[in-house]
Amino acid sequence: MVHLAATERFPGPPDPRSEDATLSALLTRCGAGDRTAFRRLYDLESKRLYGLALRITRQPTLAADAVHDALLQVWQRAALFDPARGSVAAWLTGLVRYRAIDAMRRRAREVTGVDLPEAADEAPGALDRLLASATGQALHRCLNGLEQGQRQVIVMAFVEGLSHAELAERLERPLGTVKSWIRRGLQALKACLES
Amino acid sequence: MSDLPDDRELLAAEYVLGTLDPATARQVAMRAAADPALRRAIAAWEERLHPLSAMADEALPPDALWQRLTASIDTAAPVAAGGIAAPASVAVRAWRSLALWRCASAAGLALAAGLAAFIVLRPPPALPVAALLPSGTAAPAYMAQWQPDGTLRVFALRAVAVAADKDLELWALPQGASIPIPLGVLPARGRGVASPHVPANGTQLLISLEQKGGSPTGRPQGPVLYAGTLHVVD
Repeated sequence: MVHLAATERFPGPPDPRSEDATLSALLTRCGAGDRTAFRRLYDLESKRLYGLALRITRQPTLAADAVHDALLQVWQRAALFDPARGSVAAWLTGLVRYRAIDAMRRRAREVTGVDLPEAADEAPGALDRLLASATGQALHRCLNGLEQGQRQVIVMAFVEGLSHAELAERLERPLGTVKSWIRRGLQALKACLES
Repeated sequence: MSDLPDDRELLAAEYVLGTLDPATARQVAMRAAADPALRRAIAAWEERLHPLSAMADEALPPDALWQRLTASIDTAAPVAAGGIAAPASVAVRAWRSLALWRCASAAGLALAAGLAAFIVLRPPPALPVAALLPSGTAAPAYMAQWQPDGTLRVFALRAVAVAADKDLELWALPQGASIPIPLGVLPARGRGVASPHVPANGTQLLISLEQKGGSPTGRPQGPVLYAGTLHVVD
């Protein structure tokens, strides 16, 4: 269990609402066909999205494909985005992750001879990056309230895009255990975030 | 879709987490198209887990990515909230372009809810049932899906037989409209048709049985065999 006083380490975390207001305004302009706004949105988000896709695919070509397809859809559907759905950043994250994961599932993972990175949750304080935002702080607290196995599978699945079978292999646990960790972990996470 | 677990919340959570196998993920995406509560649950889970994206290091994409994106948006008009955006010249070109099929396969089906929208066409029970319509089933017969290049692709989910002297024609009926817009004849063979037209959310898509080559009048002449409403899934 990691306890950190977030406010001491990160004075004044950025307000995700104001950051998202910027993205939301850019999206509106994209919907009107404003390419300057699209470029600005690209400048703001492409490093994060490409890094996310690269972590999942581990292949620059596939990562670039995922970001390309996702951002093309953003351009095309910008006018239809419903702010009531949630934040723009979370929407972008989903668009890129689904494509990156899809690309990986449709071709066998080519990991032979490649050193796998440390599992996302193994290093102490690995989740501290979440503390940089207010919503991340809540997630950080709730993830740390989970049992270790539950926390590990959720973080690894999200960050690395691993399937049930891949998680079982990486953690050397039976498939049923992994599935159960995911299910219970997600339920507990939702309960904690809503409490 | 009936073999999906009932727990909408858990399905949405695992869909967003990315742990579902591709076939189940595809089923969830299809169900989400017709299930607003499932769409909301997916959006809520995307919001909950989104901070975890900070766990991956940022990385500078190659310069070529932006150039590729600008090239792509040159041929793909943005979708206006209420209308049809693709200019006719683009439409005719795109209709014939093999690139459509390339894009279609690149996008894949497995994560349809990750695409902006898709629709599921179901046989309407009140309409005449023709020989090609498997009666008594609620399973979708056709599916339509936005492609990254801005077109709508419609394809059969199972084999559909049409008499040699007939064709199936696709139509869009915008909300509040009474006259459908012809979108094209579905090919007798092959996986489907790609329409460059961009119907708005809530538009009904219809497939009618027409004479060979499609309705000569620009309006459906034969019975409507399949119909479904376009839902935006984002």
